[in-house]
Order: sequence, then C-alpha cells, then structure tokens
Amino acid sequence: MFEEASEVFDNMFKSSFPLTFIVFIPAVLILVSPLPAEAAHEFTVYRMQQYDLQGQPYGTRNSILNTEARTMEADVLSRRCVLMRLADFSFDKYQKALRQSAGAVVIMLPKNMSAMPQDVLQQFMELEPDMLTTETIVPVYFAIEDDELLSIYTQTLTSSSSQGSLSAAEVLLHTATANGFQMVTSGAQSKAISDWAITSLEGRLTGVGGEDLPTIVLVAHYDSFGVAPWLSYGADSNGSGVSMLLELARLFSKLYTYKRTHAAYNLLFFVSGGGKFNYQGTKRWLEDNLDHTDSSLLQDNVAFVMCLDTVGNGDSLHLHVSKPPKEGTPQSSLLKELEMVISSQYPEVKFSMVHKKINLADDMLAWEHERFGIRRLPAFTLSHLPSHRSVQRSSIMDVRSVSFSRHGAGEPPSGPHVDVKRLCRNTKVVAEALARVIYNLTEKGAPGDLQIFTEQMQVQEEQLAAVVEWLTAQPRAAQLVDKDSSVVSTLEYHLGRHLKDVKRHYVKADKRDPEFVFYDQLKQTMNAYRVKPAIFDLLLAVCIAAYLGLMYLAIQNFGVLYGIVRRLTQPKAKAH
Amino acid sequence: MTLFHFGNCFALAYFPYFITYKCSGLSEYNAFWRCVQAGATYLFVQLCKMLFLATFFPTWEGGAGVYDFVGEFMKATVDLADLLGLHLVMSRNAGKGEYKIMVAAMGWATAELVMSRCLPLWVGARGIEFDWKYIQMSFDSNISLAHYITMAAAVWMFTRYDLPKSFRLPVTVLVALCVYKAFLMELFVHVFLLGSWTVLLVKAVLTGAISLASLFLFVNLVHSS
Repeated sequence: MFEEASEVFDNMFKSSFPLTFIVFIPAVLILVSPLPAEAAHEFTVYRMQQYDLQGQPYGTRNSILNTEARTMEADVLSRRCVLMRLADFSFDKYQKALRQSAGAVVIMLPKNMSAMPQDVLQQFMELEPDMLTTETIVPVYFAIEDDELLSIYTQTLTSSSSQGSLSAAEVLLHTATANGFQMVTSGAQSKAISDWAITSLEGRLTGVGGEDLPTIVLVAHYDSFGVAPWLSYGADSNGSGVSMLLELARLFSKLYTYKRTHAAYNLLFFVSGGGKFNYQGTKRWLEDNLDHTDSSLLQDNVAFVMCLDTVGNGDSLHLHVSKPPKEGTPQSSLLKELEMVISSQYPEVKFSMVHKKINLADDMLAWEHERFGIRRLPAFTLSHLPSHRSVQRSSIMDVRSVSFSRHGAGEPPSGPHVDVKRLCRNTKVVAEALARVIYNLTEKGAPGDLQIFTEQMQVQEEQLAAVVEWLTAQPRAAQLVDKDSSVVSTLEYHLGRHLKDVKRHYVKADKRDPEFVFYDQLKQTMNAYRVKPAIFDLLLAVCIAAYLGLMYLAIQNFGVLYGIVRRLTQPKAKAH
Repeated sequence: MTLFHFGNCFALAYFPYFITYKCSGLSEYNAFWRCVQAGATYLFVQLCKMLFLATFFPTWEGGAGVYDFVGEFMKATVDLADLLGLHLVMSRNAGKGEYKIMVAAMGWATAELVMSRCLPLWVGARGIEFDWKYIQMSFDSNISLAHYITMAAAVWMFTRYDLPKSFRLPVTVLVALCVYKAFLMELFVHVFLLGSWTVLLVKAVLTGAISLASLFLFVNLVHSS
C-alpha cells in the first residue's frame, strides 16, 4: 500500500513540478492558522463619557476604532484617528477634527497632570462640559502619555506635516521611510448597561429626650465625574465632602455614647450615589422615605438638611440656599453659629450666604440641597465654591496627586486638589457650629471662641487625609461603582463603625422610560500597529522584481564567472 | 501587513530557489524527487540535532547580556551533523559532482526555507503590523541558499578519496568555516553590536567570500585532475 502511495506521489512529483507547489505549499500554509501579529505598542485608553440623562444623550456614542493615526497638522482628517496632546488641545481644533469627519479622537494626557501650566488645565477644565454636551458620533479616547506613545505621536506628526513643497521623488522617499500607525481598539461596540444599580448609604444617630425629636440630615455624594469616567478621581468633588461627613459621624457618635452629651437631636447621615447625575440617589431616597413609608425621620420634624460638596480647599465657605432662612428656624441658627465660629475662631475664612432659586426648567439641578428643597425640606449646601457652575466639580483634573516635596516648597499645584489642612479646618468649623446648634450653646451663654472639639475629641487630620487618599485611589464615577464594589462596602463599614441602622438604598432606572442610562466599554486596550501605505507595497514589489531579475541574470550567466575562475586557476594548474 | 506584502516577501524568499533549480539544469535531470529526499534527510538530521542538544545541553540561565562563548561554540559544533547529512545525501546519489552537490544543496536549503521561514512569513508578514524583518528574512534565505551550495561543495571535496595532499588543508578550513559561520556571525553581532541591516550585509559578504573561495577550489580540483 505504501509503495503504491509512494508511486503515485512519485509520478505526481516527476510529471509536473509546478503542480506540487500549487498543491503542497498552500496546504502547508492553510494548515497554519493565522495568528494576530504582536503590536508595536499597546496602551490603555479611557473612553469619554457616554450616558443618557432624562432621555438626552451625552458624550461619545461609539467605541470601535480601527483607523490610521494623524495629527491635526494633516491636510485630510476624514476617517482618520486624530492624535492630540493636552498642551496643544483646544476646542476649535477638536471641533475642526469632528467637522472634517475624523474617525476618532485620541487625546493624550501627560503623566503628571499637576505639573501642567495653570492656563492649560483651566482651559481644558472649561472644555470638559462642552465636549460632553455636544453629542459625538465618533469615539473619543484619552490616553496617558508614555515614551512609546510620544514617539508614535512624533512619527505621526512628521508624516502628517505638509508635503506641498517637496518634489515627487522626495514625496516617494518620504512615503517609503515614514511610518504610519493603525490604531485598533480591542473591545466591542458600547452598549447600554441594563439594570445598573446606583447605591446610596444611610446611617443614623438617635437622640434622647422625648418623642418627635428634630432631625438634622447630613448629606454628601460620593461619586465623581469627569470627561472620562475611568479618569475621574474627584478628590475635591466630592471626596472632601465624604471624608468630612465620615469625620463628623465619628465625632458625634462619640458625643452620643455618653449620657451627658447625648443631645435631643436625631442625626441622619446620607452618602448618596449618582450625585453627578442629577442626584439620582438622593431623589430615590426622598421618594422612598416620604412617599412610600409611613414613619420616617424625614417625614416628621426635620430641622435642616446640610449637604457637603467640595469643601477641601480654599479660604472661603459659602452657604448655598434656595430660600433665605427665616428668623428663628434651626436653619438660621446654624447660619448664625457658622458666622460666629468663623468670626471668632477662624477670621481668615470668608463666609457668605449665596442665594439661588431653584430653576425647575433647567435640565440639571445646581446643588444637592435643591433635591430636598423641591420636597419642601429646609436644606442648604456648604461649599468653598462660590457658584454651582464652577468647572472644578466635574473635571478629570480634580485629582489628589500632590507630591509632598512640591507641597513643602510652598508652590501650590495648579489644578484643583484637596488641601488636607483646609479640609480639617472646614471640618472643625462645621463640627463646632453643629455642636452649638445641637446643644443650644449660644442661648446658654457660651462664648463664641469656646472650642468643643479639642484633645480627645480633636478633628483628626490623618483620618481625613487617609479617607481622601483612599477615595482618590480609584476612579469613583457612577458607572464604575456597582453594589459589590469596594468603595461601597468600605464606606458601609466606615459608617457602621460609628452609626446605627446603616442601610443601603439602590436606584435602578425605570425600564420603559429610564431617567439615566449608562454605557460600557469605558476602558479599553488600544493597539498601534506600524503600517505602510499601499504605494509602499507597490514600490517594494518593483524593487523585488528588479532584484529577482538581476538574480536571474546572475544565475543564468554563472558560466561566465566559472570561466573567469577557470582561466585564473589555469596557469596555476600548469605550474603543478 | 497585507497579503500583498506577504506575496512580496514570499517571492523574494522563494524565487531565487526556483530560478536556481531551473537554470542549473536540475529540472532536466528530473531531480525533484531526489531533492525531496534530501529535504527529508534535512528533517531527520535536524531532529537528531535537536534531540542531542536537548539531552546534552541544558538551557543556560546565565545573566542577561552575557555571552556564553564556550556553550555557543559547543552548540555550533553540533552542526557538524549537517555535514554528515549532506554527505549521506550525496553518497546515495550517483552522478557528476556538480549534480550531486546541487541536488543535496537545493533539497537541503529548500527544506530549511519551508520549515523555518514559511511559517513566520505567513503569520508575520500578513499581520497588520509592518516590520522590515520579514524582508530581511527573505534576503537571508537567499544567502542561505548560497551557503548550502558552498557547504555541499566543500563536503563533496572533503570526502573525495583522490583529493590531492595540497588541497587537504584549504578544504578542511573551508568546511570548518561553513560549519562555524553562524557562530562567527553571532560573535560579530555580539562584539560590534550591529544593526539588523548591517548583519545582513556582513553575512552576505562573508558568505560570498566563502563561496568564491569554494568555487576556486572546486574549479581547481575538477580541472586539475
């Protein structure tokens, strides 16, 4: 049998030489499965926000990218991936790229953002909301610069720059030597995440002394927001508010454990989720408490609701209200206490009340207290920002990364950040004022510079710093913090250490008419493949054909060389 | 990059073999099957070499960037088996010297081309990523064709019983050069830290020189006797 087979093969090989190659070479090649080639460079990219809020789409609507890279200097940008560096970024350029129907935009951010000049950061922060509000069809990605990526950028820049003045031969040479880069993302198309639950946490300290005690509600939202969810660390907004809330919980839980200092006020702490998405967590919490249950602390006797938002910096404090408090209400007494504490103990702090009416026609609520204001609860927000429009509340520049050496040199970082000393001072101010209201100290004749939180009851700066550090160690965008995430469980644990009845509240968007929709594929791996244009392939083919022709001539005329060698050796042979 | 690029690389790697086969007159002798046999011998010899290397040369885990001179030399010595294999192929074929040499070298080199270059070319040159190394690899296969022809010629001369005394030394040197060429190249690269294109050029020049020397000896030998 084997002999027969070998005979068949033998005949086949002998009879037709090219046939074997037609049969065998492709067979060998096809047996080998085509593997993906290793990329020149692989890096992580963070996609711009994509969400729908109240039926309105925001951000980029696409995540698939497979196009060649160009920089803004190139003449034609259509269907190309436009690379931009933060230093050269401007809204005009961004708009221009989109107008020319670019295939994608990749914005490269420097590794150390706080080292960037102030004006660049400020300009970018102001652009972030604009980039989000205009709906973008093509994917927009952010990448952190490294040496490889910079080299890709430089090479793309050289090949993108204008070639108008060069001669045809130079252009040809340029095409052959320049490198192009094909940018490819590995992920699938972005799609809406169904059944996403936003988690909020609640805990309380119950007062003593009779029924129907007044309740003070302290609220801070924990989620962060920026142009790219994976890059939003939200240090000042609102890591600072959450850390202040946790510190207040710790201090007052201490006071409430002793009978003599157990006050006749209920304290309700609420760490809300989805704060950057029109305070979804707060909204649901209010609905649950006011509409669906019979008895709730929020229904009975709420003294006031204090929301903490962006309190970790600056030398001013603003009390944002939607209705100026009437004389004699607990709200106005807190306002007076705050003024007194600041004027007598911290004169360097500028304190003011900012009045802004709730605008129901607006898509977005300005401050968290407006959620309570709509439900007719006396509420206000404490912040160091003078206006809700401040771009610092929704920027990826709001990071913790402040190196201590820079700090020690007395040079403040240019972007928004948390200054732990100021956060500590603000916490002290709020704690003192709250204590004065709760224990009614002013009416009891206590002097304005009386310090309650001293010695063992000190506001602990390390504690605040640790909480801020932990909160800013990971991005806390609402799309990234699910109910199993470590952020929620650690917050729950922290609250549980000091408070009673710590509960979770979940918000899920309505299936039919969702108020908010989040999308996935926010973090991807991008590959940059080095490629050459098609003309280069043709050029190469011509060169190879010429080379093979030369080879053919050389081998064909091998006899000439042989003859020369023979003639050279002949005299020698005769000499033998 | 594209299938077209693969075609380019493949043509560059393969066509010189085809041209050599056609122009050397091997096709007129119907030598294809013999070439395939030579290729099979190549496979067998490589397998033996691999087994031998795996058994007696444990992987050397020295520091990075340190060149294990003795170890590499020993490994290159194992390539002596190639000489044996070539000799085996030639001894089984009857015919003129040139014919034997060409059959052995063609079969040997083609088997190497198919076994060690087709695969990386198919996988690499077709991918999105462009890299010059596939073009270089194709050039390298051209060089290795010349190398194996030289090597076969040297072996043929070395094993002739009527080799004149005066030829003994140069032929031995030539054989040794053929075997240790790869080792010498590696040493070159290591000492002078050459770039990939320079390596290719040096390799081409070195192989050309050895081939020319071999041709001189061959012509001398054939026409002196």
